[in-house]
Amino acid sequence: MPGLRRLYAPQRVAVRTDPRGAPATVEGVAVEAVREEWLVEDRWWTPQPLRRHYFEVATADGRALTVFRTARAQRWYRQRA
Amino acid sequence: MYVELHAHSAFSFLDGASTPMELAAAAAAQGYPAFALTDHDGLWGSMEFAHACKGFGVRPITGAELTLRCRPAGPVSDRGLSLPGESSRSSPPAGETAHITLLVEDETGYRNLCRLLTAAHAHTRDNTPRAQTQPRATLKQVEEHSEGLVCLSGCARDGAVAGAFERGDTAAGEKLARRLLAAFGRDRFRIELQRPYWRRDRARNRWLALLAERLDVPSVATGNPHAHDRRRSPLQDALVAIGRCETLEESEPHRRGNSTSALTSPGAMAARFAEYPEAVAETERLAERLGFDLTEQLGYRYPGSEDPGADAELARLCSHRLGGRYAGNARLLEAQWRLEEELATIRKLGLSGFFLLHRDLLELAREVAAEVRGPESARNVLPPGRGRGSSVSSIVCYLTGLSHVDPVEADLFSGRFLNEETTSMPDIDLDFPRDIREVLIPRVHERYGREHSALVAAFPTYRPKGAVRDLGKALGLPPMEIDKVAKTVGFFEGGAEIERNLLAALGAERAKEPRWRVLLNLAEEIMGLPRHSSQHPGGMVISTRPLIDVCPVVPAAMAGRQTVQWDKDSCADAGFLKIDLLGLGMLSAVERCVEEIGRARGERLDLSRIPLDDSETFESIRAADTTGVFQIESRAQMQMLPRTQPRDLDDVIVQVALVRPGPIQGGAIHPYIERRKLRREDPGYEIPYEHPLLEPVLEETLGTIVFQEQVIEVAMALSGFSSSEAEGLRRAMSRKRSERAIEEHHRRFLAGAAANGVSEEIAERVWNQIKGFSGFGFPKAHSAAFGLLAYQSAWLRIHYGPEFLCSLLNEQPMGFYPPDSLVHEAQRRGIRVAPPDANRSNALCHVETPREEEGVRGGLVVRIGLGYVKGVKEEEVEALVAERERGGPYKGIAELASRAGAGLPSLERLAWAGALDGIPAGSDGDRREALWRAGVTAAGRIGGDGTQLALPMEPPRPPRLEPLGEWGKLIADYRSTGMTVAKHPMRLLRSRLDPRLARTSDLAKIDHGATVEIAGMVTARQRPETANGITFMLLEDERGSVNLVVPPPVYDRHRTLVRNAPLLRARGRLERREGSINVVVSTLAPLEPAPTAPKSSDPAPQPREPAVAELRAVAPAGHSFGRRGR
Repeated sequence: MPGLRRLYAPQRVAVRTDPRGAPATVEGVAVEAVREEWLVEDRWWTPQPLRRHYFEVATADGRALTVFRTARAQRWYRQRA
Repeated sequence: MYVELHAHSAFSFLDGASTPMELAAAAAAQGYPAFALTDHDGLWGSMEFAHACKGFGVRPITGAELTLRCRPAGPVSDRGLSLPGESSRSSPPAGETAHITLLVEDETGYRNLCRLLTAAHAHTRDNTPRAQTQPRATLKQVEEHSEGLVCLSGCARDGAVAGAFERGDTAAGEKLARRLLAAFGRDRFRIELQRPYWRRDRARNRWLALLAERLDVPSVATGNPHAHDRRRSPLQDALVAIGRCETLEESEPHRRGNSTSALTSPGAMAARFAEYPEAVAETERLAERLGFDLTEQLGYRYPGSEDPGADAELARLCSHRLGGRYAGNARLLEAQWRLEEELATIRKLGLSGFFLLHRDLLELAREVAAEVRGPESARNVLPPGRGRGSSVSSIVCYLTGLSHVDPVEADLFSGRFLNEETTSMPDIDLDFPRDIREVLIPRVHERYGREHSALVAAFPTYRPKGAVRDLGKALGLPPMEIDKVAKTVGFFEGGAEIERNLLAALGAERAKEPRWRVLLNLAEEIMGLPRHSSQHPGGMVISTRPLIDVCPVVPAAMAGRQTVQWDKDSCADAGFLKIDLLGLGMLSAVERCVEEIGRARGERLDLSRIPLDDSETFESIRAADTTGVFQIESRAQMQMLPRTQPRDLDDVIVQVALVRPGPIQGGAIHPYIERRKLRREDPGYEIPYEHPLLEPVLEETLGTIVFQEQVIEVAMALSGFSSSEAEGLRRAMSRKRSERAIEEHHRRFLAGAAANGVSEEIAERVWNQIKGFSGFGFPKAHSAAFGLLAYQSAWLRIHYGPEFLCSLLNEQPMGFYPPDSLVHEAQRRGIRVAPPDANRSNALCHVETPREEEGVRGGLVVRIGLGYVKGVKEEEVEALVAERERGGPYKGIAELASRAGAGLPSLERLAWAGALDGIPAGSDGDRREALWRAGVTAAGRIGGDGTQLALPMEPPRPPRLEPLGEWGKLIADYRSTGMTVAKHPMRLLRSRLDPRLARTSDLAKIDHGATVEIAGMVTARQRPETANGITFMLLEDERGSVNLVVPPPVYDRHRTLVRNAPLLRARGRLERREGSINVVVSTLAPLEPAPTAPKSSDPAPQPREPAVAELRAVAPAGHSFGRRGR
């Protein structure tokens, strides 16, 4: 429907990773610490399986962000809330 | 080095996706030195796991994840009761229950764990026996049983401590941790860290690590795997959904969330806990201490094992019996010598108490038998049970009544049964007839106490139908579709078959639906996994120590019964003394037969003293004249007997084991038959063993693998497997779903063979025989007992034909053939069978001597029992017989109605069955007239003005009724009793059938390869799993039976006919091979008599045309056997 937008839809973000694959910078801002790291593998029984590697990071500018990388396309997204 | 201390197998029931065997194999392959299995609230899989681990050189650690009952605010609740209406399927509110991980350090700890688990289950069936509630133990119970156990604080989500953090109630978590610490002490309590890759892992582990510091106990890392391989993770998700009766979508919060809960390597686990190296190091330190070995330290004792007087008692008993049994026997000295030798061995092995206990049980059974059957029963000559297995070769077993065979007379050697190297208990399984069993089970409880006896558990495993239903629901597929597909899949079919059925049931379009595709994959994986626990029908274990000290005991679904947590395999591994109270149909039949012989001929037959080399019996076996004989009566056996030509009991023992999926798939059958033939023709024929090393172990089966033990023996001989390695191989083979374990053994097998100088080609060939066999065969001991029973039944069939038929008819349902076929076959051998008769029959069939005044002399007649008349009430039949015995035969139908008190429906059924034909008052004893008389005189008809009473006077002459005639009687026979003892239907139909149709008796004269056409009644259908889709049918006519081979294309063309038609006309090619005749079918048609105008002398009915349709409607369905051959 035009004019409507899914709330909390993940947004693409630019992430550079360290050798281990964890985020080193998010949108150019350095990551100070990875606070949590988890995996979601779900809906494998549907044509759109979900496989995401999540990181909750604290950035150098003092924000707490949740970003994830999709397993198939290896794209990074930022998760709101 | 990381050691896994917390893992789940499929015995966590719907919360674990791999078998213990798979876990053990994967642990070995990943390089774990030790591994703990900690299933939810049970040790169901622990014995299997422990043995599997040992086979792979991994040290097994025993433990369980225990469910604690606690309130959200705190753990303090000491009531061990479960809430009404709760089932294990619905999980309690958060904080209601919590998990702790318990690991066994020593024997005391093991005993405490068993007691705790028993207590946790004690109230799971309080409310409704059939619906189980979740097991839970109280904290107080844990505190009382903490000794010898190491307690880990529990898993990440539901753990006693970590779970509190998840709920945000850290105070409660710390409080509970302190209480557990107090219970177990600093040495035996650890804070458990897990890393399931969930959102709060780091925060939780930080809090837990700090808590451990505050409590001054080490923390320890665990992996909590729920599958042995990542590829099994989807199934784990599906199982959780199934367990919760939800769809996969709905069960999201309860699933693992990702595939990291599959087993991974120790290195990967250490990396996962990089921040907590001490917690990783602690796994190894703890594992060092957890030295309890379930395979060796169970401490089980059977009653009598410690009795110092047992040796003397057994010796006294045996020599007493020896005098009686061998008095005046020329071989008395030999028997004496054998007895002394055996007793010495038994003394050395400390098994005297074992034999006494078995005897004790038999005596108990004898008491029960006397109560159940009355003291006069001829069956009292023998105790009502028997040992099976190699025990038949022991004179001690013979003298104590455990075996029915005189080993001296039969020249049996007991070396296999008893020798000084024996490490496990000798194999004496006791089978009891069905009627004894029900009474004996509670009697055993009484004798040995409820704490010392329990039933064996059984684990129903997933089969295609259940897999489709459960997985279909979890995947949210439409219930109508699930139902359609589930209804079409057979019990023994595999995954590929499900796909075919899916296509057939829903069409190609729907079968493409992604969720159905997923279901097919999951179904393949789920097959063979245990779904829940249940009870074994008759296996019991008895113990000197309270059973709850050696294995957890849980309530069974049947009120008042309880089971141990182990199935028969684990019980056998545990060395439990297991008595099998299974009712074996043929055992009952054989005993009934002995009793009937006593009644009909006044002979007291002792089955243990019949000759074991009776030539007439062996002739009948070689000619496949074995209908009704135990085991060797089946279609497949009958095909083989003329080719193998058994000559003695040993041959029959191999024969019984031969027609099993193991020898068939292992490729043993053809070489065995071929070599037997060559040996017959040339006694000097050299058996071509795959390798000389195999000669000693495969000699008696001519170089083929027939018995289960031979798998072990071959692996040991060819590849130098140790006995425990070989045992591990056998286990991997005998239990399903252990490809990985099998591969691991394969590797070792080839390496070992190479070290013995065996070429790789030969080693691979032998391996393929072992793999084909896969453990689906009989152990030697089992075959020995079955072979003996087969011989005994064949012997009875030859020498006491009427009594044998009679006992088979009374023991139905059993065996391969429906009663109608048994009767026809017996009639062809000249045995006379008489119809049910209200003035002659009892409720059961019996053997009678014909009355001389009827002009019939000599021989015995099998009289069909009134119980065979369908729909007649049992108590009415009993009353009718009792009244006849009290007041003499019935002189008229009215008299019968008033004296016996049978109601009209029963009288009508008896009349239809011809059971009133013999009552004198009727003019010519026709059934229609009897029906009319019954209708006029019987009580119980509710008319317009109330219920009619039975009138004790004969009604006036009935109106002229057209007699039923032969054909009408035949239809009535089938309709009312499912069989006919008069003329075979094909005999009545024959004159109206195409004269070109061959009869079964003609087949012997027809050339091999000729085209024949034949017609008859279908008596059995079979689609063995091992036959590549071929269906076999037995077609019976008035002269005999013939085996039809229906190839898959013909089956597909005539599916309905093959599956359902009772009367068939088949055209095909005749194949004759070493005495057996088959017809390979090319076309099938329903049987229709030719529409020629019948001659007036025809026995078949002329006026009533739809005769065949009528017979088709009532003819017995014939036995159908699933995909697995018998």
